[in-house]
Amino acid sequence: MASMEIDSEKTHERKQSDYTCLDERFEIQKEMYRGQQYSQIYFARLHLMRTLLYSLAPSWKPHLPVCKVLGLEEGKECIIVGTLFKHMKLKPCVLDEYSKERSVTPLVKPRNFMHPDDSLILEDESGRVKLGGSALSPAVYVTGVVVALHGKETSAGEFVVEDVLEAGLPPQLERPLDHLKEDKYVLLVSGLSIGSNSSNPLLFQLLVDHITGHVADDEELGLAAQIVHVVIAGNSVEFPRKLLTGQNMASKDQSTLYEPIKELDIMLNQIAAGVSVDIMPGLNDPANFALPQQPLNRCLFPGSAPYNTFRSCTNPHSFDVDNIRFLGTSGQNIDDLDKYSEAESKLDFVERTLRWRHLAPTAPNTLGCYPFTDRDPFLIETCPHVYFVGNQDKYDNRLVKGSEGQLVRLICIPKFCETGVAVAVNLRNLECHTRSFNIQL
Amino acid sequence: MATTAKNMKGFYKQTKSNITGGISKSKPSSRKVSPKHAATQGSDATQPAALISHGSLDVKGTLLLRKDYNFSFSIVMCLISNALVLMEFNDCNGYDEKEEMLRQFDMNMAYGPCVGMTRVDRWERALRLGMNPPNEIERLLKTEKVQQDCLWQGRV
Repeated sequence: MASMEIDSEKTHERKQSDYTCLDERFEIQKEMYRGQQYSQIYFARLHLMRTLLYSLAPSWKPHLPVCKVLGLEEGKECIIVGTLFKHMKLKPCVLDEYSKERSVTPLVKPRNFMHPDDSLILEDESGRVKLGGSALSPAVYVTGVVVALHGKETSAGEFVVEDVLEAGLPPQLERPLDHLKEDKYVLLVSGLSIGSNSSNPLLFQLLVDHITGHVADDEELGLAAQIVHVVIAGNSVEFPRKLLTGQNMASKDQSTLYEPIKELDIMLNQIAAGVSVDIMPGLNDPANFALPQQPLNRCLFPGSAPYNTFRSCTNPHSFDVDNIRFLGTSGQNIDDLDKYSEAESKLDFVERTLRWRHLAPTAPNTLGCYPFTDRDPFLIETCPHVYFVGNQDKYDNRLVKGSEGQLVRLICIPKFCETGVAVAVNLRNLECHTRSFNIQL
Repeated sequence: MATTAKNMKGFYKQTKSNITGGISKSKPSSRKVSPKHAATQGSDATQPAALISHGSLDVKGTLLLRKDYNFSFSIVMCLISNALVLMEFNDCNGYDEKEEMLRQFDMNMAYGPCVGMTRVDRWERALRLGMNPPNEIERLLKTEKVQQDCLWQGRV
């Protein structure tokens, strides 16, 4: 795509790259709901992870036998594999509404439901056992993680844990060293929140102008030409919720409700005309609530949908650009982990999900999820090269090295409406930097 | 009373494939029987089958159809009491060794929870997850007329 140049002789052409979308595992078209319960997805998760952990156990502790929960004997040291359940005192329960005591329920819900008395329980299809010992910290783990534990059962019926084995980073596809001679960037942005009080349309317009190359500075034009792909990771619109009262809406209100999407469509049209763009649904977007969120309907984007560079994607989203594997979500999985466990930074949560090989371990316990019967699509089977999470409070990134030479760049994308920051990832060396936009009127 | 005991055995031996519904014809040999033994002779394959088809009691149907019977009141009572005993054993209707094998498949913990899935789907899931489920089950489910839903479907 040649950009319009007025003064300089050099024309900048946008770099090209190969793109493959890998969202098939997150799509729900073929599934049919037959009244099944969530036990099916937990079974699929346990079975697949257990097969994996059984293969890793011999190299971890070769001399110990592996047994089921029901096969535990007192004093016998062994390895058990199962799903963790964290019993949390402060976790909101629907039955609290019906409790006889009717004690004072706080009007303001705490942001984090942890409590020092939280305990962990390991469960497999034969039974469950309470976990003790100090090797396993309830603050780090959440319900739904499948681990292997080394320990022994006490006379009290508790399983004292001596060591924990997590699945670890999955195998990664080889990234050919320096296969790219030039810098190519993928731009990640999230939390545009068009239509909200805090978003400034001028800020997003600046971003669009930067991407499409409508800038005066030659150097910036060069930067813009190096962007090969744009991903919008969720929460692109915010609807005026006060209009949704449950009553019939006046036609004037109906058109007001639709304004943010129309504005988004106009902007996406401008971007799609110049570069390939993926849009993912987020918590506030007009998509389904339960993960995996299905792609936003093409009818919402009448202007952008005809472009073949425009792609509406699922959340979580997985794709390949020039053989670099990207995997990302709009943030719901990490926000949920933040509510039920603690860490020093959000990147710790992101790294933990990668080491547990599961994008959203709290689904379906506290995170809405579709009741799959035969698979768990959130299991991470191949290690991505870039793992991004959208709608976070601030920008952060980390390079994680795996035991088998895997290299992953973890990125927390901040909310654009609050920070004006978009993240650019260099495909050549997996480095990333921010591009920030600021308007001071 | 010995005659009614023989009736019970006859009932239990009925397989599902023999159930033809309410309409049935008697065999010619039963016509020459005296009324006292009408109950035993009349209990050929077709008539009890009418009573136990899918757990529903079709006494009225059989009374209407069996015009050639010389029903005395006691015989009618025998048949009704047999049918009532059968109704308590709802599960036994058409419960044969094929269904028994499928129920064992349902209850097998290794293949995961059975509620909410058809048996065929559960078998295919077991196959995909590498559990090597017995091929006999697949053959039964796909080629023969057996219950496709699991044991607890609609009950829990």
